[in-house]
Amino acid sequence: MHIGKTIPHSEFRIMRVVRTVSVVCLAIALIPVGTRAQEAGDPTLLRSHASLFGVGYHNLLDTYLSPLEYTGTEVRILREHARLTHLMNDRVAYQNTLQGHIAYCKSPTDDAKTISGMVDWTFAWRYQWQPSESLTLQAGPAIGTHLGFAYNTRNGNNPAQARIAVDAGLSAAASYRFQCLGKSFTARYQADLPLVGAMFSPNYTQSYYEIFSLGNYDHNICATHLFQAFNISQMLSLDMPLGNHTIRLGYLCNIRQSHVNHLKSHDWSHAFMLGYVKQFQLIKPNRKQP
Amino acid sequence: MMKRATNLLPILIACLTAAIFSRCVTEDDFDNTPSGNFEALWHLLDEHYCFFQEKADTYGLDWNTVHEKYRQFLTPSMTGEQLFEVCARMIRELRDGHVNLTSSFNVARYWDWFEQYPSNFSDSLLRKYLGTSYMLSAGMKYRILEDNIGYIYCGSFDQNIGSGNLNAIFTKLAICDGLIIDVRNNDGGLLSSAQSLAGCFTNQEITAGYMAHKTGPAHNAISSLKPVKLKPAEGMRWQKRAVVLTNRSTFSAANAFAMYARACPKVILMGAKSGGGAGMPFHAELPNGWSLRFSACPMYDSNKQSAEEGIEPDIAVNMTAEDLIVGRDNIIETARAYLRQ
Repeated sequence: MHIGKTIPHSEFRIMRVVRTVSVVCLAIALIPVGTRAQEAGDPTLLRSHASLFGVGYHNLLDTYLSPLEYTGTEVRILREHARLTHLMNDRVAYQNTLQGHIAYCKSPTDDAKTISGMVDWTFAWRYQWQPSESLTLQAGPAIGTHLGFAYNTRNGNNPAQARIAVDAGLSAAASYRFQCLGKSFTARYQADLPLVGAMFSPNYTQSYYEIFSLGNYDHNICATHLFQAFNISQMLSLDMPLGNHTIRLGYLCNIRQSHVNHLKSHDWSHAFMLGYVKQFQLIKPNRKQP
Repeated sequence: MMKRATNLLPILIACLTAAIFSRCVTEDDFDNTPSGNFEALWHLLDEHYCFFQEKADTYGLDWNTVHEKYRQFLTPSMTGEQLFEVCARMIRELRDGHVNLTSSFNVARYWDWFEQYPSNFSDSLLRKYLGTSYMLSAGMKYRILEDNIGYIYCGSFDQNIGSGNLNAIFTKLAICDGLIIDVRNNDGGLLSSAQSLAGCFTNQEITAGYMAHKTGPAHNAISSLKPVKLKPAEGMRWQKRAVVLTNRSTFSAANAFAMYARACPKVILMGAKSGGGAGMPFHAELPNGWSLRFSACPMYDSNKQSAEEGIEPDIAVNMTAEDLIVGRDNIIETARAYLRQ
């Protein structure tokens, strides 16, 4: 915004047009197809819901359970809701992602198994830029909650580990819209990087019997930061039209790690995702009575 | 500004990717070789075992010396059984019944804590005292003896003991003049079951013992002692005198039960010193898949004395060969006489 300077009327009109085009481009980037009918409307009424299912590789380490890395297969579901908000002149996109996975991993010698699962719920508010008509960049804060477990089938008094964490960090995304064979495609990359947070952890060899049966707490809520709990979730996806639908293909790399209370853990996921994207526009009721 | 952001994006991605590889949280790898497995075993115990300080004070255990002593027996071509033998001998240096190494062909163990002592228990005599019409609840066999003394034999705490079980047992035995709880040859199980049973012998919350855990890899990194509060059972509670019978095979959770019961009023311990095992065991594993069990959380009695080596009875009683010949369990008979007084 210019302050103390009069803007010529023609320039003001051009700015309005550029802003409108930018908002529409962002909406197009978020909602790749099927939005032509809404271009003239309020872009914040546009909604994009994506549902993905994935299968991938999982590498698990939790030194509370075992010093060995377990590897195996995971299945993952992901539900993503995205829309523009009215914040900062309709330039902030809100994304709500709920994903869950369950993994079945084996020890290196296949003598023991570990079953792990986690539900991650993240909220991101990203300011968006429009460097070109086809490219949209977004960055902003994000918060997340994570609830899960790891269960080792072999252990006695240390059979399981609870995974409970909350964090706050940065989220960034870039989407690029392009034409191929007369169809519109959108490639998108997104990364969520928690910077600070808190997590639950037993204190080294502290047993769950002590914590939950005797009520003996000992540094069980640990503050976390980037350097002892480096976590990152990255997703590369391609939205492609298929008939009247939009199909999303993606690769998800989810890295969750911690090193607190002298206990090390990591969950490394590499999953290929497949799903569909649904777009729709909310219709505001006309409050004016005829 | 937008252009600058575009230029920064690849840098951001590169930084994040570099950060991923530089900040990987991993554990030290040991090879699946005789040497690698031996070192993994030694380091796992070195960093997680909870009684190093106590064993050093008791009989001068030096874990570094143990490492040097047994490492010389390793050869690259040794068989699994040979490696197992070396590892088994090494962990026996800890003199702890909770430390075991389990392979597909053997379990390395230290059982001197009961094998080197009189058993003070006879299955045959137990069968004689229980007869065949005893009642059974949550693994506990119980009946009323001829002199109106209640008798409960609890051979394991593996089963969960609930308030319904305890109410049923104590309702049946309520008419008795005294009660014997026999935990001889009970090798443990659930600490919560031991606590539930002990809770029948107190009318108010008491500190029945203490518990701690390791807070880091150092041998002396032990947390402060936290009290184990014994809450009174919600249902029936025993108000008369009771005797808990122990022998050297009273181990782990049964040892904890003896510890908790001793803190209760009107309860005494009789028989032989219990077997100990006052370190709640954890599990880990070696690169070759062998499972390791070790003491991780030490427990102490209500006077903050370690219960690892066992608990001395209030009245020491032993069984003799003559008792076995005449078919008389001297420990049970002494308890009956005490309760009849």
